[in-house]
Amino acid sequence: MMDNTSTLHLALPAVHTVASATAPVSTLAQPRAFSTSVNPLVFFSILDHYLRRNAGQDRVIGTLLGVRSEDGAEVEIKGCYPVPHLETQDQVEVDMEYHRTMFELHKQVNPKEVIVGWYATGADLNSYSALIHDFYQKEVSSFPAVHLTMDTALTNERLGVKTYVAAPVGITSKAENCMFIPIPCDVKYFKAERAGLELLASAKTSESGSTTLLSDMDNLERSVIEVQKMLERVSEYVDAVLAGTVPANNTVGRYLMDTVSVVPKVDAAEFEKMFNSHLQDLLMVIYLANMTRTQLAVAKRLEKLM
Amino acid sequence: MPANKELSAALDIEGTVPIHSVQLDAMVVLKIVKHCRESVPATVTGQLMGLDVNGVLEVTHSFPMPKNADSEDLEGSQYQLQMMRCLREVNVDDNSVGWYQSTNMGNFMNQSLIEHQFEFQQALSKSVLIIHDVARSSMGNLNLRALRLTPAFMKLYKEKKFTTDSLAKAKLTFSNIFEELPITIRNTALLNALLFELETPSESVEISASHLTTYKEKAAGASAKKSVLEPSFDMLDLSLDPYVARNLENLMDTIDEHHQEQGNYAYWQRSVERENKKKAAYVLNRKTENARRAQAGQAPLPNEDVDSMFKFPPEPSRLDHLLISGQIDNYCKQINQFAGPTLGKLFAVGELQK
Repeated sequence: MMDNTSTLHLALPAVHTVASATAPVSTLAQPRAFSTSVNPLVFFSILDHYLRRNAGQDRVIGTLLGVRSEDGAEVEIKGCYPVPHLETQDQVEVDMEYHRTMFELHKQVNPKEVIVGWYATGADLNSYSALIHDFYQKEVSSFPAVHLTMDTALTNERLGVKTYVAAPVGITSKAENCMFIPIPCDVKYFKAERAGLELLASAKTSESGSTTLLSDMDNLERSVIEVQKMLERVSEYVDAVLAGTVPANNTVGRYLMDTVSVVPKVDAAEFEKMFNSHLQDLLMVIYLANMTRTQLAVAKRLEKLM
Repeated sequence: MPANKELSAALDIEGTVPIHSVQLDAMVVLKIVKHCRESVPATVTGQLMGLDVNGVLEVTHSFPMPKNADSEDLEGSQYQLQMMRCLREVNVDDNSVGWYQSTNMGNFMNQSLIEHQFEFQQALSKSVLIIHDVARSSMGNLNLRALRLTPAFMKLYKEKKFTTDSLAKAKLTFSNIFEELPITIRNTALLNALLFELETPSESVEISASHLTTYKEKAAGASAKKSVLEPSFDMLDLSLDPYVARNLENLMDTIDEHHQEQGNYAYWQRSVERENKKKAAYVLNRKTENARRAQAGQAPLPNEDVDSMFKFPPEPSRLDHLLISGQIDNYCKQINQFAGPTLGKLFAVGELQK
C-alpha cells in the first residue's frame, strides 16, 4: 500500500447504474456515497474462524457474501465463510478451490447471496491485502469489492471493524498497487435476530459467558425494569434542569416533548371499556386453553385404564 | 497435564453419560435465527455440529441444508458431505450432533419430523433437535427448544407398534414423546468484546469516513451517533390479537384433526365390537350344538380355530393421535405462556392510564 499523502487525489469508485455500467467512467452520473451494512452474524463467524485458526497463524481471511442494492451503492453483508490461506515471507497462497466449492455450496442454500468481498483479521493492511483484494475484485467483476477488517488483537482496546474499497494507484495498474479507502459501515439486523442478540448481550457481563433462555415473563420484567431506569434518568435530568444545576439542552427538550406527546389521550370511560373487553378476551382464551388441556389429561388417564 | 486428563476422562465415558443439557455457541444461535428468518414462512432445516462433553452437548457450528433436499436423497447427502469436508479443513468440529428446524407458532409435531429425528437418534444416540420458532422470536424473546425422543418412544417407533396396549405398557403419552433439554448459550471472550463494542457508540468509523461523505450525511451521522444495541421494547408491545388469533386458529385446526382421528378410532372400535359379537354368537351356537350332540350320543364337532375365522381389523396406529394430542397441548401451553405476560402488560397499562 502506498502512503496517503495529501497531494494524492483519490476518489471513491464511481457507482454506475446498471445501464451505464456498459459505458464506464461517467462519474457525473450522481455517484452515491458507497456504504455497507453488516449483519452481526458476520462478526460472530469471523471471530469463530479466528479462534479456530491453525497454530502459528496470526491472520485469517474469508469470503463475504451479501446482496447489493440495485445501483450497487449499498452493500449488505449477510454472511461469510472462512477460506484457508498461507502467508509466508515472500508470498501468499489462497485456497481458491476451497473458496469456489464453498461458494457453490452456499449458493444451493441461498441463491440470492453473492460474493461481495472478503474479510481479514488484524488492523493493518499490507501488500498481501492488495494481492488478495485483487483476486476478489476479479470475483465480483464490475462492482467494487469490499474489504472488512476486524482488529482481533484488540489494539486500542477495541475490536475496530473497518470496511474498505480499493482504488487503483500509480501510473501503471498493477495488482499490488492500490489504496484502501475506508467506507462507512453500520450494523443491521432484523427483529427476530435482535431478540437473539439481546439475549447474547445479556451474557456478556456474566463470568462464564453463558446464559440460559428467558421465559416471556422474565423478559417482560427486564424490559419494564429498563424502562423504569430510563424514566428515572430522564426525570433526574429534568429535575436538574429545573433546579438550574444543569444547563438546558434544547434538543433534548424537543425529544422529550415529542415523546410525551406520543402518549395517546384516551377517555377514561372508553379506556375502561377497552381494558375490560381485552381482559375478558384474554381470560376467556386462557380458560379455554386450560379446559382443552384438562380434557387431554383426562383422555390420557382414561387411555391407561383401557 | 491435568486438563488433558480431565478431557480424556470426559471423552472416555462418552457413550454412557446421557445428555442432560445443550450448550449453543452464540454464532450457532445467530446462524439458525438468520436462516430461519430468511426463509419464512417455509420450514427449513440444517445440521448442527459439535461435541458432547460429560453430558453437555456443545453445539459449536451449524450449516443450513438446501431446501427441498432431505438428507436421504442423493443431492442432499452429497451437499452435506462436501460441506462437512470443507468445514473440517478450517478446523470446525465435524461431528454431527443433530439438526435444527424452523417452525411457526410451534406447529412442529408431525410424522416426518418424528421420523427424521428417529433416524438421527438411531444413527447417533446423542443427537438433538433444535426448534426455533420464528413468529415467537420476532415478538422480542428468542424462542429455542432442544428436544430428544424419549427412549420409550424410540423403542415403540422401532417396532412400529402403536396400539393402545403397547402405549399403555410403555406408559407413553403425548407428554413424553419428547424430552426437552435445557439450553445454555455461550459467548467466547472475544465475542464479549464485540458485544461491548457494539454497545458503545461508534465514533471511529464516523471520523474516518467523514471526509468522504457529503455534508448532509455527516450531519445525519452526527445526530444519529448511537449505539448499535440500543434497548428495544418489543416485549412491551400490547398488540396481542394477531398472535392469539393465529394460535387459536391453529389450535382449532388441530382439534378438528383430533376429532377426525377420534372418528377413525371409534369406527375401528365399532367394527371390532361387531366382530366380537359375531364370534360370541358363533361360539354360543357351537356350544348348544355340541350339547345337543352329546345328548344324542354323537361325537362333538371337531374343534376349529375360532379366532382365525373372524378377521379383526387391525388397530389403527395411535401415533397420529399421540402427535395431535401433543400438538394441542403445545398450543395450549403457548397460549398460557403468552397470556401471563400479557395480563401483566394489560394491568401495567391500566395503571399508567390512571
